[in-house]
Parts: sequence; structure tokens; C-alpha cells
Amino acid sequence: KHNLCFYWSLCVTVKTVLKIYMFSAATIIKLCRKVDVFSIITKLDVYPGLMVTAGLIHYILNLLHVTVHIRDVCVFLAPVFSGLTAISTYLLTRELWNQGAGLLAACFIAIVPGYISRSVAGSFDNEGIAIFALQFTYYLWVKSVKTGSVFWTIGCCLSYFYMVSAWGGYVFIINLIPLHVFALLLMQRYSRRVYIAYSTFYIVGLILSMQVPFVGFQPIRTSEHMAAAGVFALLQAYAFLQYLKDRLTRQEFQTLFFLGISLAACIVFLTVIYLTYTGRAHKLQPVCVFLLSRLHSYAKIHIPIIASVSEHQPTTWVSFFFDLHILVCTFPAGLWFCIKNINDERVFVALYAISAVYFAGVMVRLMLTLTPVVCMLSAVAFSSVFEHYMGDDTKREKPPEKAEEGLGPNIKSIVTMLMLMLLMMFAVHCTWVTSNAYSSPSVVLASYNHDGTRNILDDFREAYYWLRQNTDEHARVMSWWDYGYQIAGMANRTTLVDNNTWNNSHIALVGKAMSSNESAAYEIMRSLDVDYVLIIFGGVIGYSGDDINKFLWMVRIAEGEHPKDIRESDYFTPQGEFRVDKAGSPTLLNCLMYKMSYYRFGEITPPGFDRTRNAEIGNKDIKFKHLEEAFTSEHWLVRIYKVKRLENREALDHKLRSVVSRQKYTSKKVSVFPLRRDGFSCSLSFMMLSTTYSCDPHTHLR
Amino acid sequence: MAAFTAVGQADRFGSLLSKKRTGMKTTRCWTLLDCSVLVLLSLASMLHCAKADGKTLVLLDNLNIKDTHSIFFRSLADRGFDLAFKTADDPSLSLIKYGQFLYDHLIIFAPSVEDFGGNINLETITSFIDGGGNVLVAASSDIGDPLRELGSECGIEFDEEKTAVIDHHNYDVSDPGEHTLIVADPENLLKAATIVGKPTGKPVLFKGVGMVADPDNPLVLDILTGSSTSYSYFPDRPISQYPHAVGKNTLLIAGLQARNNARVVFSGSLDFFSDAFFNSAVQKARPGSQRHEQTGNMELAMSLSRWVFKEAGVLRVGAVTHHPVGETAPPAAYTVTDLVEYSIVIEMLSEGRWVPFDGDDIQLEFVRIDPFVRTYLKKNGGKYSVQFKLPDVYGVFQFKVDYNRLGYTHLYSSTQVSVRPLQHTQYERFIPSAFPYYASAFSMMTGLFIFSVVFLHMREKEKSD
Repeated sequence: KHNLCFYWSLCVTVKTVLKIYMFSAATIIKLCRKVDVFSIITKLDVYPGLMVTAGLIHYILNLLHVTVHIRDVCVFLAPVFSGLTAISTYLLTRELWNQGAGLLAACFIAIVPGYISRSVAGSFDNEGIAIFALQFTYYLWVKSVKTGSVFWTIGCCLSYFYMVSAWGGYVFIINLIPLHVFALLLMQRYSRRVYIAYSTFYIVGLILSMQVPFVGFQPIRTSEHMAAAGVFALLQAYAFLQYLKDRLTRQEFQTLFFLGISLAACIVFLTVIYLTYTGRAHKLQPVCVFLLSRLHSYAKIHIPIIASVSEHQPTTWVSFFFDLHILVCTFPAGLWFCIKNINDERVFVALYAISAVYFAGVMVRLMLTLTPVVCMLSAVAFSSVFEHYMGDDTKREKPPEKAEEGLGPNIKSIVTMLMLMLLMMFAVHCTWVTSNAYSSPSVVLASYNHDGTRNILDDFREAYYWLRQNTDEHARVMSWWDYGYQIAGMANRTTLVDNNTWNNSHIALVGKAMSSNESAAYEIMRSLDVDYVLIIFGGVIGYSGDDINKFLWMVRIAEGEHPKDIRESDYFTPQGEFRVDKAGSPTLLNCLMYKMSYYRFGEITPPGFDRTRNAEIGNKDIKFKHLEEAFTSEHWLVRIYKVKRLENREALDHKLRSVVSRQKYTSKKVSVFPLRRDGFSCSLSFMMLSTTYSCDPHTHLR
Repeated sequence: MAAFTAVGQADRFGSLLSKKRTGMKTTRCWTLLDCSVLVLLSLASMLHCAKADGKTLVLLDNLNIKDTHSIFFRSLADRGFDLAFKTADDPSLSLIKYGQFLYDHLIIFAPSVEDFGGNINLETITSFIDGGGNVLVAASSDIGDPLRELGSECGIEFDEEKTAVIDHHNYDVSDPGEHTLIVADPENLLKAATIVGKPTGKPVLFKGVGMVADPDNPLVLDILTGSSTSYSYFPDRPISQYPHAVGKNTLLIAGLQARNNARVVFSGSLDFFSDAFFNSAVQKARPGSQRHEQTGNMELAMSLSRWVFKEAGVLRVGAVTHHPVGETAPPAAYTVTDLVEYSIVIEMLSEGRWVPFDGDDIQLEFVRIDPFVRTYLKKNGGKYSVQFKLPDVYGVFQFKVDYNRLGYTHLYSSTQVSVRPLQHTQYERFIPSAFPYYASAFSMMTGLFIFSVVFLHMREKEKSD
């Protein structure tokens, strides 16, 4: 009876959670009213964790009669979770080193710019809650390796489940933990605790992660998860061997060992042959190459559409310092301290640090996974230093024979002061970065004059408001996908592609329209029923994030889908440069994006000088046939063009002549100066000449 | 979980859809705009055109033409047109007043006019066409500049003044010697019965100026071309340069159906419509050619006027319905691979009344950028309908009927629907091929249960021992 009750209450809980999720999802989707025309409906392709969390908090608060709007919950979710991240970082560092280091680590993670960027109020993003889940999972993992208790491991699995439901970065966990186990095996640090922890974690974690709809069967299918499976098998084999070792004599064991090894080799060999034969060898490949599988998952950056995102660019040294400041210098010291006094969990943090550094170097976005470990290790370093130099002298009296006599109180205080200075500067830097880089909305740009006064460039909102007020309610706006959500949210118009468009071919089609010439683009735009085209142009004020700077990505993405029509090399000069001035390639100077960006740009002073690219544009005489300028914002940042309808009649814009002969007349009898004839029509001979050189492209030859 | 989200979205789309449905769902105007106001307007103008008793302004060089072309004008008046005869240079002429068109149709039988009177000029005539008015223009060898300019606005180029279409092989026996009274074979007529009427086999007499048109222009129709031996030049001069038009490129009668379905017919010959040409006998000057007691001019002129003034070849879309097979109302969103029935009523104007249109080549497309389904519509009672299976692709689709046939007005109807993937409750609950897995799961569960029972009891025994 008790079991029944329990089962029933479990059902109720699950149903409640489901209901909350549905409610929050519906509300959140209602908040953004229009989506792009292709990606309706399926929201199977999102990680539900964020919505469930926000919905759950909202539900519980309302249950307690704390009436808040779901929007407010969403806004404040990230700061609340950053608090939880600080706590879990404290716990994890305490497990690794000591309480003091834990406190320092919590302080660091609380203010470090690399994490502040995701945890400011209003950033309702997967990463916000995922970093908490990441840290907490690691804490529980370290705890379970330390204790070898199933209790902690189950906790770790649940936390991992939450992580899986929140962010695609969970593959980091499912690769780092096996890597840890593998390293422990290699280092002869195998123990029952590790066996219990990893076996439980892998099985329960696998089953739980497969419950997330978006993940589904990926954990047993894709190469990212194969490492975990491989380590699981290895661990079982290792444990089995250990067990046999205890039971068998040395001779028996060796025989059995070789038998087993050769059998395993045979099986692997046959499997490889089978998979190769059936053409599925690529699935096997990453299993064999353990470490490469990690690289493999990020090899996706070679797909242009993914690589085009600025967050996916390789990290520069500047951004390391910008986001981490002094921590980036001190964390190797912490790592060294850890390696010097190695134990099971410090192996883990060392691996964590090394892999995170690697991935942060691959793309800016993964700086986020580096930040917590940098905070932890720096805290270790600072904590050790402080312990050494600030420690109570009376405690050290006891082993007086140690060679620490040289450290006079002066040196101690100087070092301590220096360290405190560093920390102070770090705090100042964090405050400055937070206020300058992460606290202003990206839709309003601010610039500073020489005298320190501030200019607000509100062009985006101006343009979106114009769209909202002056266009038909059902008008479709074509723009690069970066602006999809903004157009949908702020201008309330339908877009072709937006930030959640998963279908590469749609984006490629828009890219093709932007990089074709006007008439080819007009065909595409007509087939897509486009009414307006919106572009971002920074040439007047020197805004570097504009569409011309992104243009090569559009070309690349379009080339990926339409290699016959668009070729990236056409947009470069013969020297391989991307130039907008006179030396630029003619394809570039006549493509739609160029024409829309620089239309009437030659009229402003200095004539046609692009401040973003520091060049005078090459094509100042731009005329449109199928488009007309509808709106240009104050600083030309946003330009909107209206796509004209087909003309009602097709009037003649040239004289029709029927010239029968197509053959080339290069006869010397034709005089250079044609004989004077009456009327409009030139002499026949001259017509022949002109057809030879095809002076008039409109002349119709029949 | 996620499926609910899907429904939420689908609902939103559904409401958007139904909002549209309350307005007019389909448009037959040439624009693709969804704006229901425009649709209503265009429909209103259509209804207006549907009445045959349109007010028609007839511009003449001189009022004599009214008598020399009396058969043609009488037939128009008999068909209910309200003809207002004016000379082309009448200072009181006016086509537009206060932004309203005073006439529905315009006939210009004034080839030699150098300047229209009143406020009629090239701009008013082109805006009349763009506003949906129909124009019949007859020129002659005395063609003046306004008509030439009107022609080039419509994509047709008239030859110069004083030129004529000459054919040394196909001229009438009564030709005085310039070989400009041409006998045009009925084979050279456009193969479209709505424009040129049923084939009579009778040749057509023609005397006038030739035209050429851009072959790339999709709107211009070559209604009557010259024979391969014809050309257009000054009849009284020796040929010193390449003729303007040669062979079959020489257009004798050309038509234009603009994208707003306004129709314009240019005839190079004013005499073509005259009583004399209607009633004369015709015989080619070649020995042994057949003599016809009457020319085909009258029949052709009647058919042309019927077409150009929208008495023939006018289609419209009636009710459009679509729903899953077995239901009557459209759902908020279709599900992929639904079996859907689509039906559309298409009507044609005949004798001033709308009757069901009879065509066997009307196609329906189910489009999301590209057509995923393209199928023929079958006539089924007064409407066209088809049943088909939706593709296994979700997104926003359109049912599209885009019927563009020679001689008929452009028929266009598009209805936007959304197609969603299966909800998670719509998948099969039990799959036969998965029964081994079910068996293994359930055997595991029972096994675990038995094991735990045994395990618990075994332990107790051990303890008691």
C-alpha cells in the first residue's frame, strides 16, 4: 500500500511538472509573437530545462501566493542561478582543496566577466542555468569518487540529467568524467569507489539523458557519447581482471588474459570488417580514437553556418584577458599546486582545466566552460599563497627547523599586499567590464565623443518602429538571420529566417539572394513573396558588425547549397582580397547586398567613403530596377528596401530591330564612318558592326 | 511535453489563418497581396466589368468613320455597349474625372491623330489601362505619334508613318498595284478560340501598318501575323535599308493582357473593321486561288471585340474549401501525411452570366517555396476538387491554383495553411516489431520483482540461522 501511494504521488508530481512545462512553454512562445515562416510548430528541437525551471519557479511562487509574471521570473532567473553557481563552485573547490580556496573561488565566479556575461538579469539563456548544473554535477561526481557511495552518484546523475535538459554542453560532462576515469586507470588509481561511481553514473545517467526529447537516442548513437561507453566497457573488463587476479594463479591468469585479449581482438576485427562492409565504418571510427571524438564534436565548426556565428570564432588572447583578467595568469599556478599534491579529484580538475583551455581556444563561446575552472584553480593558487604568507606565525613555531626562517614579516606583508592589490585590480576590472560591456542593450549603440559626452545611436529601434508602423501587417521581411528575432519581436513582421532557423537551405537561399545580382535576386525574392529587405550598414558611422562584413559568410553559406550559382572566389579580387573599392571584383560590386548597402552612398560627403572598411566605394552609380529604397535610418545603420511588384505592362525600353544575320561581319568593305541615312535607324552596315561587337545588349537578333 | 508547445503554436497560426479566412481568402487580382481591401476592390471592379453594358468612349479621326464602320459599331451597340462617339481632337474629351474613370472601355479609331483633345494624353490612357480599362486601337499607314507611343508603352512597336505591310504573294485581286491590300491566311491567326473565335477558314483582308513585338515579352499576344513573304516598308520608295519587320515577325494584329487583366488590342489596319472589308469578296491574286464570297473580317472583329471588352475569356474564383477527407471544416493546422480534399469553384463569364468553367488542365500546387505536390483538379459538379496526401514535411504551405492560359484572364488563388508534425500521442502506441523489447522489459520487471522478494526472504532466513 505504501508503494502504491508512493507511485501515485510520483505520477502526480510528473504530471504537475509536465503541466508547468506546457504552460511556461506556451507563455514564452506567446511572448515572441511571430516566428519565421518555415519553422513553425516543432519545439522538439529545444532543450526544455530552461523553460521547465522558469515555469516551475513561477508555479511554486504562485502556489505560495507570490504573484509574479512569468516574464519577471525569466528576467531574474540568470542572476539567481549565478548565485547557485557560486555556491556549487564553493562546494567543488572545498572538495578539491580547502574551505578558504572555496570561498575565494565563489568570490571569483561571482564577479568574473566571463560568467557575468551570461548571468546578468534579462539573459534568459540556456548557458545561465547550465553552468550551475555543470559545476554541481562535477561537485557531486567528485564527492561520489571520494566516498564511493551510490547516494552521491545518484545525485550526480540527477544533476547530470538536469544539465542534459538544459544545454547541449552536457557532452562536455559525458566526456570529461570518462576521461577522468580513464586517467585514473592509467595512473593505477583504480579503486572500488571509482568502479561504483562510474558504473552507476554511466548507466543511470545514460537512461536519464535519453528521456530528454531533443537528445533521444543520441547517447547510444553519436560519436560524442562513444567515449563514455568505451570507458564503461574498459572499466568492467578491468574490474573483472582484478577479480580474476584474486581468484586465479598467476599462470592461469596469464593464459586467460591472452585468450581474452585475442578473442577481443578477433571480435573487434570482425566488427570492423562488418561495419566497413555495410558502410557504417564512420560510426566506429571515433570509438577507436578516444580523444579525437572530443575534437570530432567540435569539428562541426567547419560547417559555414555554424562557423559564421561570431561566438564560434577562435578566441583571441585579448578576450582571455578581458574575460578573466588576473585569473588567467594565476590559474596555471593553481594547476601546478594541484598536480604537485595529486589525488583522485585533483586529477579530475587538472583534466577539466586542460580540456576547457583547449575548447576555449577553439571558440569564444566555450570561454564559458573555462571560466569556472579558472576561478577554482586561481582560488587554489591565491589560497595557497595566502596560507603561506599570511598564516598564523604561532602555528609554524612548532616545526622550527623548517627553512622558513628567511621569510621575515616584511616579505610576508609585501607579498600579501601585492596579492591584495592584484585582487583589488581584478575587482575593479570586473566592475568596469560589467558596466561597459555587459550591461547595455545591444540594440542601442553608444559612442563617446572626445569630450566624454555620450551619443546614443538608436537606429535599430527607429527602423523597427518604422517597419511596425508603415508596412502591411502581413508583410514579409527578408534579412540576414541575425535580425530575425528582432524584426519579429520589435517590428512584429514575418521574417524568412531567424535565429532559430535550423534549416540550412532556407538560410542559404537568403544568402543566395543577397549575393546574386539584382535580377537573379528578384526571382528568388518573388518566389519567397518578399515585400521588404532589411540590411544593416555601418559605413557611415564605422559600425563594424554590419552586413558587408558578414557578407562573405552569406556567400559561403549560399555556396554550400548552390555551388553552381555562387562561388566565393568570384567575390575576391585576383589577389585574393575582399575589397569594396574600385579594385573589388565586379561580382561583388554588382551583387544585391553591395548595391543595397551603398545605394546613394556616393552622394554624402566625403563622397562614398566607407568608414568601416576605410575605402572609397567602387560603384557609386547604383540604380535599382526591382527595388526601391523605403527607409534609411538616421545614421544609415538600417536600410530597408521595398521589393516592387511586377509591372502591369512591359513597356519597350529600347527599339526593336530585326536583324536576320548572326554571322560576324568583319569585312573591310564596311566603312568606319557609316554613310548618312535618314531616320533613327543607322545604316544596315553599321547595324552589322554593332551586332558584331554587341554594343547594345538589348538588340534582339533573330 | 514538446507536443503541447506545438499545439500552442499551431493555435496561434490557426487564429492567424482564421482571421484571414474571415476576409476574402482568395485573390484573383494580379498582385499577390493579401490585403483584403484590395481583393474586394478588384472583385468590385471585376463585377463591374462583368456587365456587358460598359460605357465606351469611341475616338474617331472624323465622324465619317462612324458610318463607314457602322456594322462593327452596331454590333457593339446591340451587345449592350453604351458608345459615346467623339472626334479625337474634341477639346471636351476626358477619360478621368476626380480620380474616377468615366468609361470602362476605350476605342481609338483615330490613326492619324497628332494630339488628343481635352485631357486625354498618353499618361491618361496608360493609367486607364493600369486601372483596369480595356482599349481597342486601330491604326493605319497614317499613324501618328500618340498611337506609336501608346504601342511602345504596351510593348509593341509600330512601323513609321507612311509605311505599310507589303506582300507580293498574298494580295487581293482588287489591289491597285502596291500590293498592300493583303489577304491574311487564317493559319496565321493565334490558336486561341477565345480571342479569334472558332476557325472559319475564311481569309482576312488587311491594309495598314505593321508592328513588331519583343518575343521575350510574356504579355503580348501575336494575334495575327503576316505571312512569311510579307514585310513592312514604304510602298512608294525603293528599298534601301532593312525593313522594319519581315516575314512572320510582322504583326498585323497584336494584343496585350496586362497583369491586372486589362486588355488592349492593336490592329494595324483601320479598314479591317470597315463595312467595306466586312462585306467584300476576297481572292488572292495568285492564279488558281480560291475565291471567298465574304472575308473573315467580321467574325474576327466580333471575336476580338468580345475578347478585348471582357465578354469572353473572363474567369473568376468562387469558393475555395479544403479539409481533411471525412471532415467538413478545415483544422487549425493539418498534420503531416493527412489526406486532404481541396475544392475550388471556377466560373467563366458567358453571355453576361457566370457559369461553371469547363477546363481539364487546371492544376493545384501545394507549395512551400517549391511545390511539394502538383496535381490536376478534376471537375466534380460545379467545382474542381482533388484529394491528395500531404507531404511528410511540416511548415507553412499554400494551396495554389495559378491558371494562366492564352485568352483567359489570369486566375490565381492561394490559401495559406500550416502543417504540423505528429503529436506525440499520434504515434503508434505498440509496434509489432518491438514486441521482443516489450517482452524483455516486462520479463526484466517481473524478474526483478521475484528476485527482490527472494532476496529479502533469503536474508531473513540467514539472520534467523
